[in-house]
Order: sequence, then structure tokens, then C-alpha cells
Amino acid sequence: MSAAIEYFQYVLAPQMLIGLVLGVAVILVALGLTIIFGLLDVINMSHGEFYALGAFIALALASIGLPFWLLLILVPLAMLPVGYIVERGLIQRVFHSGERHVTTLLLTFGLGLVMEDAFRLVFGPNPHKPETPISGAIDILGVFLPLYRLFLIVGGAVVVTLVALVVYRTRLGAMVRAAAFDKHMAASLGVPVQHVYAGAFAFGVALAGLAGVLLAPIYTVFPTMGRDFILMAFTVVIVGGMGSIAGVVVAGVLLTQVQAISSLYISPVWSDPIVFGIMVIMLMVRPQGLFGRLGHG
Amino acid sequence: MKKTTLLTVLLSATMLTAANAADPIKIGVVTPLSGTYAGIGQQVRWGLDLATKEVNAAGGIMGRQIELIYEDEEANPSVAVQKADKLFQVNKVDFLTGTVNSASTVAVGQVAERANKLIATTVSFADDITGAKCSPNVFRVNARAGQQSAALAAWLAKDKPKAKVFFLGPDYLMGRSTVAAFKDAAEKSGASSLGEVFAPLDSKDYTQYFGQMRAARPQVLYTSVAGNDTVRLFSQMQEFGLMKDLLVLGASGTVTAQNLPAIGKAAEGFATGVGYSDEIDTPENKKFVEAFKAANKAAPDLYGADSYGLIYAYKAAVEKAQSTDTDKVRKALEDLKWQTPQGEKTLRAGDHQAVQTMYVVRVTGGKFMTVGQVSGADAIGPDTCPRF
Repeated sequence: MSAAIEYFQYVLAPQMLIGLVLGVAVILVALGLTIIFGLLDVINMSHGEFYALGAFIALALASIGLPFWLLLILVPLAMLPVGYIVERGLIQRVFHSGERHVTTLLLTFGLGLVMEDAFRLVFGPNPHKPETPISGAIDILGVFLPLYRLFLIVGGAVVVTLVALVVYRTRLGAMVRAAAFDKHMAASLGVPVQHVYAGAFAFGVALAGLAGVLLAPIYTVFPTMGRDFILMAFTVVIVGGMGSIAGVVVAGVLLTQVQAISSLYISPVWSDPIVFGIMVIMLMVRPQGLFGRLGHG
Repeated sequence: MKKTTLLTVLLSATMLTAANAADPIKIGVVTPLSGTYAGIGQQVRWGLDLATKEVNAAGGIMGRQIELIYEDEEANPSVAVQKADKLFQVNKVDFLTGTVNSASTVAVGQVAERANKLIATTVSFADDITGAKCSPNVFRVNARAGQQSAALAAWLAKDKPKAKVFFLGPDYLMGRSTVAAFKDAAEKSGASSLGEVFAPLDSKDYTQYFGQMRAARPQVLYTSVAGNDTVRLFSQMQEFGLMKDLLVLGASGTVTAQNLPAIGKAAEGFATGVGYSDEIDTPENKKFVEAFKAANKAAPDLYGADSYGLIYAYKAAVEKAQSTDTDKVRKALEDLKWQTPQGEKTLRAGDHQAVQTMYVVRVTGGKFMTVGQVSGADAIGPDTCPRF
């Protein structure tokens, strides 16, 4: 029995805790994605680059001496107009075509490539490592965890809660959900649908930027960083159910735990195929995901 | 056929060859300009560009200018193969270089064999490229894993006799080759191995391997991750307090001028065996470093220096052969001795591997300092190429 406890304390628990940190990271990236997906029905392939943009803006602002805590507020705010302009200037133009999924996917994919090259031109190809704002580490029952990662878990939970409150508990959120459910009905009730769409896209992009600020100290900042999370984030959105915030949280934690625990017993090279395998099975068994859609719940 | 037509054909043929002589010599460069190895590709580009500019300013090769044609290989062998094919078939390049990923080098070597052209890598470490997987069409002007390990293991035996070593490498040809080479060299000089783990290239999070590493209680960690991967591994190890009382050794490419600033304090004390360091105290190197810094606002690392030296090797070979013909240039490159910023190098005819002095350098106060040196002959190891 004591051997089992020891195994849990020294092998399984640290692995699960580390998996949870990665889970929070994926959830933060996937959160904005699922809002854009569930509401606008737009597959935003450039979401990873908006995550990178947030990290680069944070890097630039930190280099002129702004403190990290201020960046947590400033960067998402700076991203709002960017997202709004992208939606009104680009996505609106192809939004009403019959092949909406294909056109928006190609458009945002192209946008992502352009952004990636822009990062390389401005910041160069080499990685940047921002200072970790909280140093030190704690021992939780013999499990060692750096304080910044603990902060990330707590901070991630706070962000998800706030977003859920905004969407489900405010007048603004109600408008957004109404526009997603039936845009003609919502428009006739006086909801400014166009602005709601652009605003929701901006909100999703701002969340990606926030994820960029939070994750930069752990995962470093470089032009192609957006590719790292995008596949995993899409998988989480699909398994969780498009547009569902609860779905993102459950699927994000679940899939990263599967990755973390499986990599103890089989080569970590297999962790991606396992996760995508789960996604394929999900699509076959329950295409709508674990939880339904925004406004359709 | 009328005489006049025959004459015209003959005339135009001679005019064509005359035009050819003044045409530029085209060198294709397939190198990662994006992805985890983009920083390495940047050094390759800077080194090649600088040498090409110098050679062209001095009148080119046999009166012909060099033209470099770049393609992004994204550190991905399948992309590298497509791009190399395009350069050989469409751009009709005379010679090709730039591949970083060892698997890319091997794959592009096969493309070169089919196209009957020569390639050289200035970066790849895997021993096999000039060993079991050698090719008559592939040359390597940089030091391979075995040479790096020979120098590093000799230094380790002096610094920490009978060390207990744990290994972590990227999970592909280069990672496995470098780990095997250092394990072999270190065990021969009295160290013992505690275990090894291989992480996928471009891993986000290395923390999942820390349990295994901690359980093994190593005195020394050898790693051959490179590029951005090193930044993540080292900073995460420091975050988790693993750097305490641990000597970290690595491959030549693990910590270089391009990622050292991002790694910062976590790189302190790191040591590696390398064929080049900008610290090498010779007039040739000082001149090179100054020119490189003036052109690129950054110091050269091994990739920049070895890529720079390649242009001069190719120039020497073409001038010796008096032709860009594949067979003649191959013959000229074999046993070629030429001058590089790090001193004289020789291309061994038996396996197309460059022989060169090897250095051990250590990060001290945020800069590389030279702490040891092994002669080229002692570091090179046997010729194991079975094909020629």
C-alpha cells in the first residue's frame, strides 16, 4: 500500500499537476476560439498568431519597463481594436458567401501566415524569454511546483470564471447569445448584430492575447509559437462542443491529463496521436461534442 | 545540311559556351528560415552571404560570380526534398547546401545522387551522414557528433572523473546519434550512464521528463536539443530547481550565440565540444568576426563560421578542377585542404568528413570561454563509410 502512495506522490501527482498547467494553457487559447466558433461560425485559423501577437506586444511593452501586472490588462485591451478591425475589414467581407466555412478558414489561415512573417521581420527568428514575474517554488505534499505555474492555474481559473459570467450573466452576454441563436430575430429586437459579431471576435482575440501574456514566461516568445497550441486548442473545442465554455474546460483538462498520464507509460511521441484519436472517435460518436453550442444549450 | 547552317550552329554553340563562362555559378541553399531552427538558418544565411560577397568582390570563381538561391525547408525533411528537387530541376543550381536537420541532409543527399549533383551540409551533426548513410555526393564541412563528443568526454574525464550521466535528446536522427556518440565516448573515459529519454522535436513542455531525471539523481546531464527547444528546456529546468549541483553538457548546437541571450542565467556553466567559437584567438578569426558583426550586427556561431568556410572550400575545389562538373569537383574536394576562420580544415576522401581542431567551450559570465582543445587527428575517429 505504501508503495502505491509513494508512486502517487512522486510520479503520478507531479505528472498530473504538470499536465494541469498545460491544460490551463490550452484552455486559455481555446476559450477565445470557441467563442468565435460558437458565435460567428468562423473557423479562426489565425487564432494562434493572435496568441503570439499578445506575447510580442507584452514583450515590447515589458522592454520599455512596464510591469507584468499592468500588461495583463493592457495587452487584451490593445487587442480589442485589432480584433474589431480584422472582423469588420476582412471577415465581414466573406462572411455571407455560401462557402462560409471554407472562405473564412482560408482567409484566416492566410492572415496567420502574414502575421507570422511580420513577427519574423520585426522581432527576428530567435526566441525571447521574458523574465518570470513570480520566482520561487512551493512544495505541495512533496510535489514541487514553481509559483508562477501555480499562479497560472489559479489565474486561468479566474479568467474562465469571469468569461463565463460575462457570457451567461450579463445583458451583453445575453445579446451575444441571442445573436448566435437567431440573428434575424435578435436584429428585429434591436440587437446591433454587426457590432455584436465584431465585438465577439475582438473579445475572442483579446483572450488569445491574454493567453500570450500569461504563457510567454513559460513557453518563450518566437514567430511560429502560434502553431504550438492551435491544433490542441481546436481539438479541445471540437471535443468540448463548439461554442461551449464548460466544454472547453472539461475537454482541456481531460485531454491534457490523458497526455500527461499516458506519457508515463508510453513514448511521449504517441501523446498527439492519442489526443487526435479521441477527437476522431468523438466526431463519429457525438459530433456535437460533450456540451452543445452557445445559445443552443 | 548547308554549310552556312552548319556554320551558324557551330557559331551559336561556341557563343553559348562563351556566355556560360560568364554566367554566374548558382548555389542552391535549402535551409530553415521558419520554425524551431530558424535562428540556425539565419546564421547559415549570414555566413554564406558574407563569404559570397567577399568572393564576388574579389572577382568570383574563375571569373564567374556566385549567385545564392534560397529556399525555406522549415527543418522538415519532406519539404527539404521538394525544395532541393526544385533547385536542381528548375533553377539548375551547380551545388547545394544549407540543410540543418540531419534527416533533411540524408534525404537531400539522395535527391542529389539522382540529379548527379553535389551537396554539402555545414550544420548537421548525425555521425551517419558521413558514416553508415554516407553518399558519394554528400560532403560535411562541420564537425560531427563523434568529433564533438571526443573533445567533450576528454574534458569531462579531467573535470569530473567517473561522472554519472543522464541523457536527454530530441527524438530524431540527430538526437539519437549525438546521445549515442557521447555515451560511447564518456563511458570509454570512465563515466557511467543512468538512463536516457527522447523528447519530440519542438516540445512545448519538458517538465514531463523531470520525474525520470530527478529519480536518476545524475551529476551530469547531456542534452542535444537545439534552437528554441534549448531555451524551453533550460528555463523549465531552472524553474523546477533542477540546475542545482548539476553539470549540463551538450552538443555544439545546444547553446549558441543565437539562443544564449534568451536562455540567460540558466546557461551558466554549460559546456560543449565545438569546432568553432568566436573566442578563437587568431588574426584570421578576428578579421572574420569583425566583418561578420559589421554585416549582421550579431556575432557568428559555429553555423555561421562553417557556412562561411564552405564557400571558400567550393571556390578552392572549382578552381582546382577548373570546372563545375560534378565528378571533377568531387575529386577536387576529396582531400582538399583549405583555410577557414577556425584554421585549416581537411576533407577526408574516405568519407567526405572535414577534419578540424576541436575545442571545449564553457559559458562563464554569460559568454563562451575556451577551456580545452583536442587536435583534429585525435577527434576524428575511424572512417566507417561503406560506399566509396
